[in-house]
Amino acid sequence: MLLLPTLFGVLTLVFFLIHVIPGDPVEVMLGETANAADKAELRESLGLNRPLLTQYRTFLLDFAAGDLGRSLYERTSVGTIIGARLPATLELALCAMIAAVLISFPLAILAAVRRGGRIDRLALLFSLLGLSLPNFWLGPLLMIIFSIQLGWAPVSGRGGLSHLFLPALTLGLGMAAILIRILRASLLRAMTEDYVQTARAKGLPERRVWLKHTLRNALTSVVTIMSLQFGSVLAGSLITETIFSWPGLGRLTVQAIQTRDYPLVQGCVLVIAVSYILVNFITDLVYKLVDPRVTYGE
Amino acid sequence: MVSQNCLARICLPCRRLVYFFPALLVLIFAACRSPSSARPPDYLVVGIESYPLQLDPRYATDANAVRIGNLIYNSLLRADQHTRLQPELAAGWRMIDATTYVFDLRHDVKFSDGRPLTAADVKFTYESMLDLKNRSPKRGLLKPLRAIEQSGAYQLRFHLAAPHAPFVEQFTQGIVPADSVAEGATNYQSPAGSGPFRLQAVEPGEKVTLQRNPYYWDERPPLPGVVFKIVPDALVRVLEFEKGNIDFMQNDLEPDMLPWLKNNSAADVAAYAGTTFQYIGINLTHPILKNVKVRRALAYAIDRESLVRHLLKDTGTVASGVLSPLNWAYDDHAPRWPYDPNRAKQLLDEAGFPDPDGAGPLPRFRLSFKTTNIDLRRRIAEAIKEQLQQVGIELEIRSYEWGTFYSDIKKGNFHLYSLAWVGVMDPDILFQIFHSSSVPPNGDNRGRYVNAEVDRLLERGRATIEPAERKRIYGEIQRLLADDLPYVPLWWWKNVIVKKPSIKNFTPYPDGDLISLKHIAVQ
Repeated sequence: MLLLPTLFGVLTLVFFLIHVIPGDPVEVMLGETANAADKAELRESLGLNRPLLTQYRTFLLDFAAGDLGRSLYERTSVGTIIGARLPATLELALCAMIAAVLISFPLAILAAVRRGGRIDRLALLFSLLGLSLPNFWLGPLLMIIFSIQLGWAPVSGRGGLSHLFLPALTLGLGMAAILIRILRASLLRAMTEDYVQTARAKGLPERRVWLKHTLRNALTSVVTIMSLQFGSVLAGSLITETIFSWPGLGRLTVQAIQTRDYPLVQGCVLVIAVSYILVNFITDLVYKLVDPRVTYGE
Repeated sequence: MVSQNCLARICLPCRRLVYFFPALLVLIFAACRSPSSARPPDYLVVGIESYPLQLDPRYATDANAVRIGNLIYNSLLRADQHTRLQPELAAGWRMIDATTYVFDLRHDVKFSDGRPLTAADVKFTYESMLDLKNRSPKRGLLKPLRAIEQSGAYQLRFHLAAPHAPFVEQFTQGIVPADSVAEGATNYQSPAGSGPFRLQAVEPGEKVTLQRNPYYWDERPPLPGVVFKIVPDALVRVLEFEKGNIDFMQNDLEPDMLPWLKNNSAADVAAYAGTTFQYIGINLTHPILKNVKVRRALAYAIDRESLVRHLLKDTGTVASGVLSPLNWAYDDHAPRWPYDPNRAKQLLDEAGFPDPDGAGPLPRFRLSFKTTNIDLRRRIAEAIKEQLQQVGIELEIRSYEWGTFYSDIKKGNFHLYSLAWVGVMDPDILFQIFHSSSVPPNGDNRGRYVNAEVDRLLERGRATIEPAERKRIYGEIQRLLADDLPYVPLWWWKNVIVKKPSIKNFTPYPDGDLISLKHIAVQ
C-alpha cells in the first residue's frame, strides 16, 4: 500500500534536489564556446526555462505515461541506457549476497555452537576485519592475490562467472562480516529459549536442534539485515564497480550526476527506489517462510 | 491487504523455489552473458579511464570520444604531430579572399559502408551542427560561418561573415554521411565514417571495439582492430597491463605509478611534450587580488620546479604562459616568474600587506583555493598552500565534485582555483579567456580580466589572416599577460605513454590524439 506514496516521495525529492544543486546541463551540453543567446534558446527547447513546478508537473505526467525521457548527452532513451546496465547490477548483487550467505552462515553457526572457543574467536576476528577493511583497499588486495599472483580470476571487467568472483567476494565479505555478528547473537539468544530446552529434552539430535529450532528462529533479524544489504548493493556499489570496471548502475548514476543529466539521474534513482521497494516486499514474504506466526493484517 | 491463507497458499509451493531462485538467476545471467573479456585475435587493447558518451563527431566533446572518433571519422584537414594542419579529405584547399575557403575533395574516399564521400556529406555535416534543434555543443564554434556552397560533387566553398583566422581549426571536424540521423544517434548506432577503423561493437560502460575499415582509402592499417577497454581505476589499469590484458595506455595515470612501472615491468614508459596547460585562476575583482603586486608575489612564491619534480614525477614542464613552445604562436620573450620567496615577501610589503608578526603564525591575509576532489589535485593544492604559507599567505583549500566546482568558477565565486586548458591549438583561445567581452556566460574570462590593450590586440589577432603578423600580435599579447598575471601559469602536462615493447611505429601527438594507432604494428 505504501508503494505509490514512496515512489512519489522519492521522485519528488530527486527532481528538486538535482535541480537545486549547482551546475547547469546546458553549459555542459553546448560547451564553453556557446554564447548566451544559444544557451537561452536551448534552455527553452529543453523546457529548462519554465518554472520548476511546471517542469515537475511535466515530469510526473511523462512518468505516468511510462516515459523516463531522453539522456541529455547520450541522446537516447533513459530506459535503454538503464536497461543496458541493470543486468550487470543484478548479477553482482545476487552473487555478492550468495557469497555473503555462504561465508557467514557456516561461520556464525560454528561460532555459536563453539561459543568462546577458537572458531568463535576466529569468526569474531573475521567479522571485525570485514567491517574495518574498506572496499577500495580490499578489492585491489584480492585482485593482487587472486588475479596477479594466483591467476585464478580475471583482474576486472564483466564476462562469465569467473569475472564475478572477485567483485562478488569483495562485496560479500563486507556483508558477511555484519551477518556473522547478527546471526551469532541471534543464535545464542534463541538457544536459551524454552522450546530449545524442550527439543533437547525430547531427545532430538543436537544437529537437528540447532538447524531446525535455533537457526530458524534466529533468522528473522538476519533476513532484515540481508534485505537492507541487498537493497544497498542494488542501488549500486560505486567503489566496487569502479575498482572492478563493472558497468553497473552505481557508476552510471554518478556519471549522470556529474554531467547534470537530469533525466538520467531521475531514471537511475527511480530504478533504485523500485528495487528497494521490491526487496522489502520479498522480505515480507520471506518472513512468513521463516516464521509461520507472522501475519499480514486482515 | 494480503490475507494469511492466501499468502500461505502462495508461499508453501514456492518454498523450494525461494532457495533456488537466486542461484537460478545467476546461472541465467552467466549463461546469457558471453565472456566479453576475450579479446579478438591480434586486436590492440587500449586502457582508458572513462566511457565515451557520444562518438558521433558532431556531438562528441569528451577527450576519449574525440580520440576514438578520430580513428573512425576523417576531416577536411587534420593536425599533424607538430600541430600543423594538413589536408586529409581535401585534395587541395585555398583562400580566395579573406572570408572564402575553397576545398577540393579527394575522389577516392568511401565511408565504411562502401558509399562514396562527397561534398554533399561535408555540407550536411556542418549544416546539421548549425541546426539548433540538433543541440550540437560545437554549434558556437561555427558562428562565423555564413554559408556553405557546393559546386559539383567534390568541391565546396565556405563563406565566413567576416575574416576570422581561427576558423580554419573547424575544418578538423569529422564528416558523417548525409543521411545520418541527429536524434537517437547513440553510440550503438553512430554514423559510418571514412577513417582507418569502423565501429564494430559498443558495450556500454565496458568497451568500444573498432575493426579495420575495408574501404579505407589510405594505407591499410596493420592492426585488424582496436579495443578501447574502460577501466576507471588507474591502479587497476596498471594491474591489467601487468597481466597482459591491456597493451597500451596514455595519460590518466598517477605519477607515483610511473617509477614502479619503469622498474618492475617490461613496459615502455615515455613522456612527451604536450599542450595541456595547468594554471591558477585569479578573481581580479577581489580587493586584494586586483593588486598586480600581490599576483606577482603569488607567482614568485610558488616553486613550480619542485611541484613538477616531486608531485608530478616530471610529467610536466614548468609553464610561462597558456601557449606551449609547441604552438606556432609561442613567444619566448614573455616575463617569467622564477621561485623567489624573498621577492614575494617584498612585493607583498610594497602592496600594503605587511606580515603582522614577522615569523609568527599570523598571516598577511587569507584566501580560499578551489579545486576538484581528485586526489592528485588536492595534493597539488596542499603543496601550494604550504609554499604560500612561507610568504605569509594563508590558503583555505576547498575541494568539490566537478559540477559544483565548475558552476562556482563560472559564477566568479572564488578567490583562486586551479584548472587546465586541454587541446590548445589556435592562439585565439586567448580571446575566449581574456577578452573583456568573454566574461561568463559569453566566454571563459572567469577572473573578470579587463585590459583595453589586450582586447584590441585579441580582436586584431582573429581578424588578421597573415601568419607572421598574427604571430607578432599574439607575441605581444603573451608579454602583456605575463606581466599582468590574470593567471599564474603552473605547467604544461606531458603525454605519458605506457605500452608493450612489441608495439612499434607509435607517434605521440602533443594533444594526445591517437590517430597514429593506424600505423601501429605489433611485432
